[in-house]
Amino acid sequence: MKEIKVVVVDDSPFSVGMISSILSEKGFRVVGSANCLQEAVEAVAELKPDLVTMDMIMPGADGIECTEAIRVLHPNIKVIIVSSMMDDEIVQKAKKVGISGYIQKPVDAEEIALLINRVMANEELFIELDGLYSDAFKESMSIILNKFFKEEPRFTDQLKVNDENTSRGFSVVMGIIGKYGGRMLLDMSVETARNMARYLIKEEALNFDVIVNVIAEISNIIAGNACSMINRTNSLYGFRVSPPTVVYGEVIKISKTQLSTVSSVIAETSFGDVYINIGFSRSACHE
Amino acid sequence: MSREYFSAFPNAVLNIMPQLGIVEVAQEASKACGKNIEASGVACIVGILGDLTGNVIFSMSEEGAKGIASAMMGGMEVLEFDELTQSAISELSNMLAANSCIGLSEMGLNVDISTPTLMQGVFTLSCSYENCACFEMQVGGSRLDVYVSLEQGAQDKHFSSVG
Repeated sequence: MKEIKVVVVDDSPFSVGMISSILSEKGFRVVGSANCLQEAVEAVAELKPDLVTMDMIMPGADGIECTEAIRVLHPNIKVIIVSSMMDDEIVQKAKKVGISGYIQKPVDAEEIALLINRVMANEELFIELDGLYSDAFKESMSIILNKFFKEEPRFTDQLKVNDENTSRGFSVVMGIIGKYGGRMLLDMSVETARNMARYLIKEEALNFDVIVNVIAEISNIIAGNACSMINRTNSLYGFRVSPPTVVYGEVIKISKTQLSTVSSVIAETSFGDVYINIGFSRSACHE
Repeated sequence: MSREYFSAFPNAVLNIMPQLGIVEVAQEASKACGKNIEASGVACIVGILGDLTGNVIFSMSEEGAKGIASAMMGGMEVLEFDELTQSAISELSNMLAANSCIGLSEMGLNVDISTPTLMQGVFTLSCSYENCACFEMQVGGSRLDVYVSLEQGAQDKHFSSVG
C-alpha cells in the first residue's frame, strides 16, 4: 500500500505531539498539523493529505464543522475523530457527515494504526471498483445479449455523470448489495421490450406479464454475471443482486441519485436501444 | 411465509417520522395488493437481501413528498420537486429501509439493503413476487404507501437463475 499522508487537527499542542509521534512510529507520514478550523482548511488545501485526525472539541468550531469545511476543498478526504469525548450524540453527528471512524483519547497506538489502515484499504477498494465496474457491466451485457439474440450490441454515449433521466417507458431496477451498496437500472421502450420477448418466446401476441418476466430475467442475468465478474477480481466485494422491480408507464423520470459513482451507456440492438445505468455508493452496506 | 415480520416496515415509519419533526403519523390500513402496483407521484425502490429477499417500495404523491422533504429540511419551503427534494426523499427511503432492517434484526432476521432508486411520474410497478403487502400510512396529513415484496429463503432460488 502507498504511503499514507496524515494531518493532525487538535487544539492542544500536547495532543498534536502525542498523536503525531504515534502515527510516525506506526509508519504513517504526518505532513502537518492544525489547531483550529482556519488552519485545518489551509493545511488540507496545501498538503493534500489522505486522511485527517480530528479533535471534537476546539475553540470556535467543533470537529464536525471542521470536517464539513475541509470536505468543501477535498470531498473524498477521510476523517477520523480522535476525541476525549465519545458518546452516542457525538457518534451520531459524526456519522451524518460521513466520518470514517472514532478513537477515544488517550490514543492507543495499535488501535489508531488499525483504524487508519482499515479506512484507507476501504478507500483503495472503492477506487478499484470505480475503475472496473462499468466495463464489467458492459461486458456482461454484451455477452448476455449475444447469447440470447445472437448479435453484438453497439455501445454509444458512454457517460460517467449522475443526472436525471427520462425513461423510455420500460425500466428494470435491481439493487446491488455487498461491500458497497448500489443499483442497476435497465431502460428501454415498451416496443424494444416486446420485440426482445417476442424473439425469445416466438409468439406474436404476447401477454404483457410475459414481457415483464422476460426482461426482468434478462436484467437479473446481466446484473448477476457482472457482479460475479467484479467479485472474481476481489472476493471482498461480495456483491449480490436483489430481485428486479419492473416499472412501466407513459411519463417516468428517473431521479438523479445519491451515489458516489454512476456510469451509463446505450447498447444499440436490432430491437431498439437499451440504456443501462449503474451506480455505487461509497458507504458500506454493513455499517 | 409468516408475514408478521412485515410489521418492521410500518414500524420504521412510525419510528423515523417523529425524529424528522413529523409527529402526526399513523398506520391507516394494511392489505394484500398482488404483484402489480399502480402509482403516481414518487416511488423509491430499495433492494433487500439476506434472510428475506425482495424489495421495499415507498410511494407518495409529489405534494406529499414535498411536505415531508420540507419537514426534513427544518420547515424550509419546498415549491418544486427539485434536486434537493429528491435527495431528501432518497435519504428518507434509506433511513426507513435501514430502520426496518433494525426491526427485522430484533426479530432474528438479518438483511442488507441496496441504495434507493427514485422514480417520478405515473406508472405501474411490477414487483418481484406475487402477493405484495401494502401498508397505508398517514404522515403529517399526507399519504405514504409502503409496499413490501419479500420472500423468505428466496435467495437460493434466485441465485440458481443467475447461474
